[in-house]
Amino acid sequence: MPRLKRPLLVFAAALVLAAGLHANGLPRVQLFTTGGTIQSKGADRQKLMEYNAGKVTPEELLADLPELAAIAHVGFTEIANSGSGSMTGPILIKLANAINAWLAQPEAAGAVVTHGTTSLEETAYFLNLTVRSDKPVVVVGAMRPFTAVSRDGPFNLYNAVRVAATPEAKGFGVLIMLNDEINAARDTTKTNTYRMETFVARDLGPLGYADSDRIVFYRRPTYRHTFRSEFDVSKLTDLPKVDVTYAYQEFDGAAIDAFVAAGAKGIVLTGRDADAVKRGQEKGVVFVQSDRKGAGRVMTSERATERGTPTADNIPPHKARILLRLALTVTSDPAEIQRIFNEY
Amino acid sequence: MTRLATTRTASIRTVAALAALGLLAIAPATAQEIPTYAPPPPMPADTSKLPTVVLMSMGGTIASRGDTRLNITNYGGGMPRVDPEDWVNDLPEIRGIANIILDDQRAPRDRPSGTETHEDCARVAKRLNELAADPKIDGFVVTHGTNTMAEVAWYMNLTVKTEKPIVFVGSQRPWTGLSGDGPRNLYDAVRVAASKEARGKGVLQCTNQFINTAREVDKTSAYRVDTFKGVDAGALGFADPDKVVFLREPVRRHTVNSEFAGLDFPELPKVEIAFSYREAPGYLIDAMVEQGVKGIIIEGVGAGGATSGTAGQGEAIKRAQAKGVIVVMTARTQGGRVQDTPRRREAKMVPGDNLLPEKARILLQLALTRTTDLAEIKRIFDEY
Repeated sequence: MPRLKRPLLVFAAALVLAAGLHANGLPRVQLFTTGGTIQSKGADRQKLMEYNAGKVTPEELLADLPELAAIAHVGFTEIANSGSGSMTGPILIKLANAINAWLAQPEAAGAVVTHGTTSLEETAYFLNLTVRSDKPVVVVGAMRPFTAVSRDGPFNLYNAVRVAATPEAKGFGVLIMLNDEINAARDTTKTNTYRMETFVARDLGPLGYADSDRIVFYRRPTYRHTFRSEFDVSKLTDLPKVDVTYAYQEFDGAAIDAFVAAGAKGIVLTGRDADAVKRGQEKGVVFVQSDRKGAGRVMTSERATERGTPTADNIPPHKARILLRLALTVTSDPAEIQRIFNEY
Repeated sequence: MTRLATTRTASIRTVAALAALGLLAIAPATAQEIPTYAPPPPMPADTSKLPTVVLMSMGGTIASRGDTRLNITNYGGGMPRVDPEDWVNDLPEIRGIANIILDDQRAPRDRPSGTETHEDCARVAKRLNELAADPKIDGFVVTHGTNTMAEVAWYMNLTVKTEKPIVFVGSQRPWTGLSGDGPRNLYDAVRVAASKEARGKGVLQCTNQFINTAREVDKTSAYRVDTFKGVDAGALGFADPDKVVFLREPVRRHTVNSEFAGLDFPELPKVEIAFSYREAPGYLIDAMVEQGVKGIIIEGVGAGGATSGTAGQGEAIKRAQAKGVIVVMTARTQGGRVQDTPRRREAKMVPGDNLLPEKARILLQLALTRTTDLAEIKRIFDEY
């Protein structure tokens, strides 16, 4: 090798590393696995339900997709290997801290998280509030297990890595990738128990698509997220206990009293009983009003301000719970919590 | 012709007072007032600090009257039209949101949107460009018939150079219709146009309390009031009673960032649309070429397909291309992208992304004022 070219090569290598590229020129993406249907095996290939969660290892996932080697250098970190239902505050914090540590490295291009679909949107929204980087973080799942015919997992994972490796995907907040659609963590909800187009951002639609010709974006979220978020979980071991009530005719507030007795610091209301709320507030419990419909905003109003119950905008109750848990790590003032619900 | 709105709230107050007395119930069914059973909200004490919004009329159902309030399908015709002044008189509360400047761009008379021509669009774009340069003006509301509102808004999105909000609005029911959607839509559109949050988001469309983008919005139902929906990408936000809220902004180039913005296009190259279906013949495309089109949009089947065989569209497309006609492929699925593929590149077909054919037509017309280079036209379809 001619001597003159060597400093140039060293310089080029440094540039490559700084741009989040592996030594072989490919972007470096880390896969954080938590389990879910995407990592599940069924007894036979027609089993689309009653499969056992947590059977496919990260190594198997990656070995199943040799095509990834052409688009990214993919490493992995196993956070958990269980279904959506086993996700807890401590695991969420561990996940956020691991992603933050990875993305803080200059050579990291992005992160992909595997997750069960049932509570995927809650974890994605949590990360949207706690990842302190503008690098792409893509949460991915599958509606059909690893072993099924016409399984959706592999293409979802392939697309998730593509998006995580794409510099144009920076700054959109945490993304959800299934069914070719790039969705925003805050606005997207699982709308169907089994169909593959289950993740939908009602009213707002997807941000873009991972199509064969290109990754394309049409929308950018305007609310605060990731690198513009005020929440820091690096020193926490768990999150405040927050529960959710469901609204129905003759809802009588017994659930509210029981949550308060069990030590809830906050309660997201869809079902509301004025007396039970007052009793809870006297004990310092913070209440946020959401709604069970799954679309449309709960508006700010003089009446809600008087009641001391901030409103959750169009954040559905289970995600309002995530935001309230984080809000309670910094304040219990209803006005301040309303500001937080207005901004995130 | 610009003029400040006149103050004529007395008649409205009278109507409100009558309503309070319960006398409106016996008013004749042909009454043209918007039925209001509560008074307008109070005006702010100081209106001098309010933003200034131009309320521009390009007509539409929102500017139409029916003979009875149950007539929501056969309005207009011989009935007197609703002038911009009528809107402000019927809805004095919009002057509590903004200082309103009325601008009548119905031309030459109140024609239905079906008879509107490019001349009208070019004139309105020129007018918007002129007014946008006026530092006293903060935003624009433009009314239009709902049938082609999305196309006209898209044209403005590409040709008006401003960060100031431009909000298209219309209604599905005439101004006189029972439970008419026009008044609330107009009120909300003025709120959006007066909001700082709407700046720099491209040309917007606001009906049914949804704020949509000119690029994605489409009329999806002939008569329902929730007709306007975004194709693929949905609303940017909502005009809700507590506030105008934005959760999204568009990513594609528009208005201030458009290479076509601020320019006048008195004429555009001729571009037509060919619909595809089983057995769709090639001779319609041949006829377009004979008529001198410079471009053709195919509204293709599936992910962007045309009929093959000697009598099919595919062969006619090749004949058209041989004569220098540019062909863009869109999809009749009204959702999803027509992608760039090796086969499509080989066929010299420009993928229309997820643009509706009628919007791809406008973009191709503008692109053809600049270039006939396929790569350059593809860039334009990728960026807008």
